[in-house]
Amino acid sequence: MQGGEKEAQRYVWDGAIPLQVHLHDSEVTTLPPPPPALILAPRIGYLPLLSSQLKPFFSGALPPGVDTIWFEYKGLPLKWYIPTGVLFDLLCAEPERPWNLTVHFRGYPGNILIPCDGEDSVKWSYINSLKEAAYIIHGSSKNVMNMSQPDQVELWRSVMNGKLDTYNRISSKLKLGIIEDDFSEKVNPSLKAPHTVNETEATTTLKTSRIPVRLYLCNTNQDFENLETVPPFETWDQISYINRPVEINKEGKYFTLYDAVKSILPEFFHPADEEEGKDGVIKLVRIQGIEPKMEIPFSWVVNNLMNPDYFLHICVYINAGRPMGT
Amino acid sequence: MASDSPIASRKVVVHLRATGDAPILKQAKFKIAGTDRFSKVIDFLCRQLHRETLFVYVNSAFSPSPDELVNDLYDNFGFDGKLVVNYACSMAWG
Repeated sequence: MQGGEKEAQRYVWDGAIPLQVHLHDSEVTTLPPPPPALILAPRIGYLPLLSSQLKPFFSGALPPGVDTIWFEYKGLPLKWYIPTGVLFDLLCAEPERPWNLTVHFRGYPGNILIPCDGEDSVKWSYINSLKEAAYIIHGSSKNVMNMSQPDQVELWRSVMNGKLDTYNRISSKLKLGIIEDDFSEKVNPSLKAPHTVNETEATTTLKTSRIPVRLYLCNTNQDFENLETVPPFETWDQISYINRPVEINKEGKYFTLYDAVKSILPEFFHPADEEEGKDGVIKLVRIQGIEPKMEIPFSWVVNNLMNPDYFLHICVYINAGRPMGT
Repeated sequence: MASDSPIASRKVVVHLRATGDAPILKQAKFKIAGTDRFSKVIDFLCRQLHRETLFVYVNSAFSPSPDELVNDLYDNFGFDGKLVVNYACSMAWG
């Protein structure tokens, strides 16, 4: 990856959600109860990794027992393997700052959440997600599986500690470099200048065009004037989890974010709406905390806003006016 | 991507393959609704093998999230009309 092309990537890596974390009433054994903890949670991080900061803060108030950390937001247990930034974008239609979460160290809801044994589980989940992305891009996970153990550990630590330079150095060995960024080439044609036409064509054909995407679809099932009126989620069943790669069609006009979302959710796009310039049923598309314009090139979105697992996580709110059939 | 049959009612053929010291199942092939989540496959295996935990992979490569739809896994990683699922009692592919 050329330097300087992916300025937004650094913003994503530096991005954090201010959390105000409350210990659940049932686990408070002291008077007065402990005050809430205020911490910054990295967008690309995972909630259980905050344990080392939160545990000392609350340990004095906990009843005797074995600690297993989990979080909830307005009664909904949070899936720990979804990046924290995605959880925030998904569950806070109107961003709440600080984000008020409740932490538990007892009573793990094993019927809703898969078990988590701390950092090892989170690392395992991250590496598996990376392997899945590699499979989508290359048709096999070999590049990730053949990684040396020290590289794997260093890659994981770079994600955990937000070290972008280390991440870029190690991840470039995986040869998952996604797609050419049409947008940057256009803005700064010098980046492309040395290529002859033939070379450019050769590079293009070698570059993959299957983009790993995890899309979280919320059907609010009612009209909402503003995002504050969207009721909180009661169960995860209200959110569809869609994993479909986007195939970039390089022919003709730029392939935009609009084209990408439409390719994943064709059922929510109607030609009539497009003609009239209406938004249709799609009310909100949010990636890494921003609501990008739908006409920006998808290649830019992928190169700058993807998570370190090489998946682009997209949150979509729709109002289909009826319950969804999956 | 999508096959000819309507996605909503599609059944996906899953091939179960034991890895390492995991016991082999009598019935290694079964059909599952595409709209089910992968967790259903994991639960089925855990019940059949009477185990609390198992390592379950697709194409001997990676463990999908239990929330992923069988339809999506089949479309993304299936071939020859089936989805290959490997299971092991200990971690097989880091």
